[in-house]
Amino acid sequence: MENFTALFGAQADPPPPPTALGFGPGKPPPPPPPPAGGGPGTAPPPTAATAPPGADKSGAGCGPFYLMRELPGSTELTGSTNLITHYNLEQAYNKFCGKKVKEKLSNFLPDLPGMIDLPGSHDNSSLRSLIEKPPILSSSFNPITGTMLAGFRLHTGPLPEQCRLMHIQPPKKKNKHKHKQSRTQDPVPPDHKKKKKKKEEDPERKRKKKEKKKKKNRHSPDHPGMGSSQASSSSSLR
Amino acid sequence: MAEKFDHLEEHLEKFVENIRQLGIIVSDFQPSSQAGLNQKLCLCVCLSPRNFIVTGLQDIDKCRQQLHDITVPLEVFEYIDQGRNPQLYTKECLERALAKNEQVKGKIDTMKKFKSLLIQELSKVFPEDMAKYRSIRGEDHPPS
Repeated sequence: MENFTALFGAQADPPPPPTALGFGPGKPPPPPPPPAGGGPGTAPPPTAATAPPGADKSGAGCGPFYLMRELPGSTELTGSTNLITHYNLEQAYNKFCGKKVKEKLSNFLPDLPGMIDLPGSHDNSSLRSLIEKPPILSSSFNPITGTMLAGFRLHTGPLPEQCRLMHIQPPKKKNKHKHKQSRTQDPVPPDHKKKKKKKEEDPERKRKKKEKKKKKNRHSPDHPGMGSSQASSSSSLR
Repeated sequence: MAEKFDHLEEHLEKFVENIRQLGIIVSDFQPSSQAGLNQKLCLCVCLSPRNFIVTGLQDIDKCRQQLHDITVPLEVFEYIDQGRNPQLYTKECLERALAKNEQVKGKIDTMKKFKSLLIQELSKVFPEDMAKYRSIRGEDHPPS
């Protein structure tokens, strides 16, 4: 008896539930499970009003309603608020989404020379390749010495056409009257060369035409070197 | 903040201009152009440092320290690599954010309506239980 009373006297708190149920020590024991067949189609079980309402809301099934938990903490910023006005992005939104944004990169960087609208994969100038395979560089930029400059001795003459396209820009419609003299698109414009070629070809063409005319005249009846019958017929035609 | 970008932009513009002038010299090279080319490439004390490639690179490298905390999303690089305006990325981000905002707002509003309807109908079937529930929740569940 002493052991029996000692047990109940010592253990004022209820014994901890077994760990197999998943409850840690110190928590109150779980309520009895709902009766079998208590599905959505059946009548709800009677409320186990063992605890006063609102007393214990933590844990599953505590309180008068099963699985009734505390509501999550309310926050001021939710998806129902207009986040663009909340973060003061109205001007940015009107600027980018209100007006039409031009598609090409050259519209964003109009002063940058070269054909920048082409994809970077064409000439290995993509930023992605720079990130994936960064070039191996030294820690500082050292000036080029006199001996190094020997490597920069170039041959005279124009570049091949493949390399020339590097600094040719697409025609700009808006900036026709601006910066005409400040920049030279091409060091040797091809139009002058073509015009020169035409001018050179013109006297040659004239010579060829003259030679052809001479040949025709030699073989024609009008030529004095030909026979008299042919000359008389030609005179009748006149 | 904007000054950091202004400095970098200025240095980059000068450097690009020097490179462009180098390209013009090289495109139709003459013997007399060698001196000018060397001048553009190497450092010279007597002339202004603005026209030199090496000092240009050094100036750009100095700007890097001021911009170490700037982060750029990688998706912008895809736009630039395709030759597209990077402002289109900003535009699409804003549009996506707005669309998602509207979508979530719609979900929240629908769930609120469902909750009020559910409480309303449950109150008709289980008036006592719903009264208890409302008393527990307090002001969170106004009677509908």
